[in-house]
Amino acid sequence: MRALLLKRGLQLIAVAWGVGTLTFLLMRALPGDMAYRIAAGRYGMDATDTTSADIVRAELGLDQSAIAAYGQWFIDLLSLNLGRSLVSGSLVIDELWHMLGHSVSLAIAGSILSLFIAVPIGLASAWKGGWLDRLVLSVSTAMRALPVFVIGLLMIILFALEWQLLPVAGYDTAFHLILPALTLGLSMAAVSARVVHVEAKRVFGSTFYEFARTKGLTHVQAFRRHGVRNIAVPVVAFFGIQLITMIEGVVMIESLFSWPGIGHGLVHAIFSRDIPVIQGAALMMGILFVVMNTLVDIACYYLDPRGGQLQ
Amino acid sequence: MNLITTHELAVYAGETQLLQPMSLTLSAGERLTILGQTGSGKSLLAQAIMGNLPSSLRCTGQVELFGETVEERFRPALWGNKLSLLPQEPWNALSPLMKVGNQLVETYRWVAGQKKAQAQANAEQVLTDYGLASSDHKRVDELSGGMAQRVAIACAMAGGAPVLLADEPTKGLDVSRRDQVVQLLLKQSDQGALVTITHDVAVARQIGGRVMVMKQGVLVEDGQAEEVLNTPQHPYTQSLIEADPVRWPKGSETHFAEQGDALIQVNQLAIGRGNTILVSDLNFTVHTGEVIGVVGDSGCGKSTLGDTLLNLTPAMAGRVERFSSADQYRWQKLYQDPTAAVSHAVSLRTLLMDMVSLHKVDTDRIEPLMARLGLDDDLLNRTASQISGGELQRFCMLRVLLLDPVFLFADEPTSRLDPITTREVSQLLVDAAKEQGCAVMLVSHDPALIEKRCDRVIQLTT
Repeated sequence: MRALLLKRGLQLIAVAWGVGTLTFLLMRALPGDMAYRIAAGRYGMDATDTTSADIVRAELGLDQSAIAAYGQWFIDLLSLNLGRSLVSGSLVIDELWHMLGHSVSLAIAGSILSLFIAVPIGLASAWKGGWLDRLVLSVSTAMRALPVFVIGLLMIILFALEWQLLPVAGYDTAFHLILPALTLGLSMAAVSARVVHVEAKRVFGSTFYEFARTKGLTHVQAFRRHGVRNIAVPVVAFFGIQLITMIEGVVMIESLFSWPGIGHGLVHAIFSRDIPVIQGAALMMGILFVVMNTLVDIACYYLDPRGGQLQ
Repeated sequence: MNLITTHELAVYAGETQLLQPMSLTLSAGERLTILGQTGSGKSLLAQAIMGNLPSSLRCTGQVELFGETVEERFRPALWGNKLSLLPQEPWNALSPLMKVGNQLVETYRWVAGQKKAQAQANAEQVLTDYGLASSDHKRVDELSGGMAQRVAIACAMAGGAPVLLADEPTKGLDVSRRDQVVQLLLKQSDQGALVTITHDVAVARQIGGRVMVMKQGVLVEDGQAEEVLNTPQHPYTQSLIEADPVRWPKGSETHFAEQGDALIQVNQLAIGRGNTILVSDLNFTVHTGEVIGVVGDSGCGKSTLGDTLLNLTPAMAGRVERFSSADQYRWQKLYQDPTAAVSHAVSLRTLLMDMVSLHKVDTDRIEPLMARLGLDDDLLNRTASQISGGELQRFCMLRVLLLDPVFLFADEPTSRLDPITTREVSQLLVDAAKEQGCAVMLVSHDPALIEKRCDRVIQLTT
């Protein structure tokens, strides 16, 4: 366990450095004058001209060379200082902290929904097979083939515009969370339902499951005592793989539903070339990714200790 | 009262008959052994009685249990309490993530309907009786095959079923474990009925009672054990009995140890895995053209010895000296489980030709060797999943022998084969050693096989 945590700690540092450097390089490679973009972000498009751009340039020291700017960012990072937003002037860490709460609640709600969708459907299609299996497979394939923002748009059109049950976008009430979380949940469940299906079939068809039945346990007892845990191991491991889909989905969904999380903040920061916020947001996602993968590894270890040691 | 009666019970896959219609009766205290090679439909009969045939198969005829006809779909209600099945391959039959003690406790608790404390006390008692007291908290991957089989027997019997169907209960066990398992089965079946399915003639002898000999889904001989096994009438029964290693003719008496050159010399060798030493102070010399048997309890380091001699695992202490400078690929190993040692993704021909071109083997040698191994050229067009375990093991031997090995470590190469194939495969190994001047180390849990095939024996003890 200690070896695992140490290894993940080192990974965390490598990810932080890599993500920060990569975003810095990408931002420098974007076309257009950065000062104009930042000025537009601050004062609005109409009020942006050479004068305001020059003011921004002078104030933020945008004239300094790329290497100097990178060095400054790196030194600040080592002292855990993410800097201030170029647009709003507030501390990046405060902005991120605020956005993180929204993103995490969306991610958790989406993941839970995806489990509530994937587990019953996967189990049912494994148990029943036949037409149900084919139906689930077609729907899953179609869902997976659709980009997540298309699923989101369909949700908006159906639930918000056609039936007017839920708000289109925004974040005022708990109802505002339903559509974004459902979109995320559906796009994740598209694949995980199939994983549950395959693993459930493997367990139901296994010799040990059959022996659990022939030694006298009922269907329900055999499932509870020998099915759940054996199915859960690969499903939890797959959840770790799916984290990338989830983070990707969060960025898209937040923009689509104007959900004020990190993904939404990241997109806005890119438009206005707010480099400290971009780097901070990307960094935060990288860290989240490593931390959540570590949690998945630990969960897998406790579910299936046969691997012996955590690696 | 008859515990089991079947009327014209038959099994079909589509229109193909896999098991001819069988009628049999078994009353309390009776024992029935169904004897036959793999693929003879023995397991199907047990599954057809039990009512757990794979859904792709179809069953006709009737099964009476305890004097009443019971439809297949109602039979699961009898499982555990009235009717129990001990499956093949106990390693796969026990739940992989649950401690074995709990698997027994849950059977007493939920199947026999005992209170928690009593179920625990019973499970503890039975595990102690079976010599498994210290294995209570282990998972099945931490047990040997024999231990897992004993746990499985305990679980199958815990519900109190008077009728036990045991499907190859001794497969892969060494002789002492095999006898233990047979004794357990006999003890458990005092009051009830026991149906044992086996390919092992010795097991059939020990169990006694009635014997039915089956070949490809057809009953060829039926009668009391002594009668059938001592004076077999059908040629198939005769060949089965002849194939028992005890009855093999002893090989040539020449001791190659005195003739051949020394190939490997081992001094004060200690072997082990990870940080655990399994055996130490090994001293022996292997000569060319010699067949050495390696015996010892399961888990005592037989496979590790092979890996150490082949340079696949580092020695823990001591020295392994080679007196031949042959390429590493001519120091070969034959694996216990051929299905795990061969890729299933491409045809066997591709596998063979890849090896032939890699090591520039003379292709003219393939055909005669295949003929000797009893392999059809046709087989090479299939993949490993499409041929039987015996055929695949012979294919593995083909690959190994084409490389002109100087040393061959055969790690239980016959444990998954039926006796007739075992006899052929082990004879071929001996012939290869004598003809190609290769040193063979043969691991087996069957002392009779070792005695008949080997020039001398190394006993591993921890």
